[in-house]
Parts: sequence; C-alpha cells; structure tokens
Amino acid sequence: MSGGAGGGAVGSAKTPADFLKSIRGRPVVVKLNSGVDYRGILACLDGYMNIAMEQTEEYVNGQLKNKYGDAFIRGNNVLYISTTKRTLGD
Amino acid sequence: MATEDDSAVKEPLDLIRLSLDERIYVKLRADRELRGKLHAYDQHLNMILGDVEEVVTSVEIDDETYEEIVRTSKRHMPYLFVRGDGVILVSPPLRTS
Repeated sequence: MSGGAGGGAVGSAKTPADFLKSIRGRPVVVKLNSGVDYRGILACLDGYMNIAMEQTEEYVNGQLKNKYGDAFIRGNNVLYISTTKRTLGD
Repeated sequence: MATEDDSAVKEPLDLIRLSLDERIYVKLRADRELRGKLHAYDQHLNMILGDVEEVVTSVEIDDETYEEIVRTSKRHMPYLFVRGDGVILVSPPLRTS
C-alpha cells in the first residue's frame, strides 16, 4: 500500500505529529467547525491544534470577508489543516 | 532522547503573549466580536480584557426580497473576563486603511 499524501511535498510524514511539524511556514487552509475558511501562512501550531498564522484571509461561503496580519485560532474550532499551493487572487 | 529543535519552537500561545497590554480583536462564537486591551490570558484562552467593546452581529433575511439585513448591537465594558471556550480567533485589531 503506498502511503503518503497526493498534494504538497509532504511525502515522508508518518504520523499526524510529524505532519504538524513539517508544515510550518507553508501556506495552509484551516477550516473551522463553523465552516469558515482561513488561508494564510502557518507560523506555528501545537498539539491542541491551536494555530498561529500570518497574512490570514477569512473566507465565509467562499467569499473573502476579512484579512488579518496575524491570527491565533483556538484549536477546538479547527476541523482540518490542509496545505495548499496558494495562488493569490484565486 | 534525540535532541529536537522543540526548545526553540514557539507555540501559538507564546505569540499571544506578545500582545499582552496591547489592544486586540477577538472573534467569539455566536457572531460576537470584542475589541479591547489584553491584560491576561491562559492556556484555555480565558482572557481579561480592559476598555472593551462588544459587537453582536445578526443577519435577517427578508422573506420577500431575500435582502440580508445586517444588524449590530454594541456595548462597552471597562473590564471583562472572557471564558476561553467561546473564543474562536485572536488578532491585533483590524486596521481600516
């Protein structure tokens, strides 16, 4: 069985913890339980999935609603964290 | 134990510490937002804020016109304890440029 993800160059991550360590500094999409999307550059995160991001954009229903220079997101709200090839103006 | 770089790793909470005594913007559940001065916080994101403005946003959709009517109500408090489990996001205040 071939493991490893398809997109993003994170082929050698074995556990979720490894993944979390490997994605710092990358552009990510963070989806919250509420459905709101945050796109930005991952500054750091911890085991509770608390997240610190830079250049964050908030998308509600696919629409850009807000921009934050820095954003800290409480981990319990996070549904997933995904890496992305961030294309501005997408 | 293999030496890891973890001693130098910053946690998101460490970065919030940089905002102590600064004004911040907090997004809460139930469509609420706060702007105030961060006096204290903990790992639950319980916070003590001073000179705080709370904005509650509600959106009504008109049955006939399907118009979105956005209403906000505000209140101001000199001092506020925020329970951490309602916090969604914390950020330096949005600058209106």
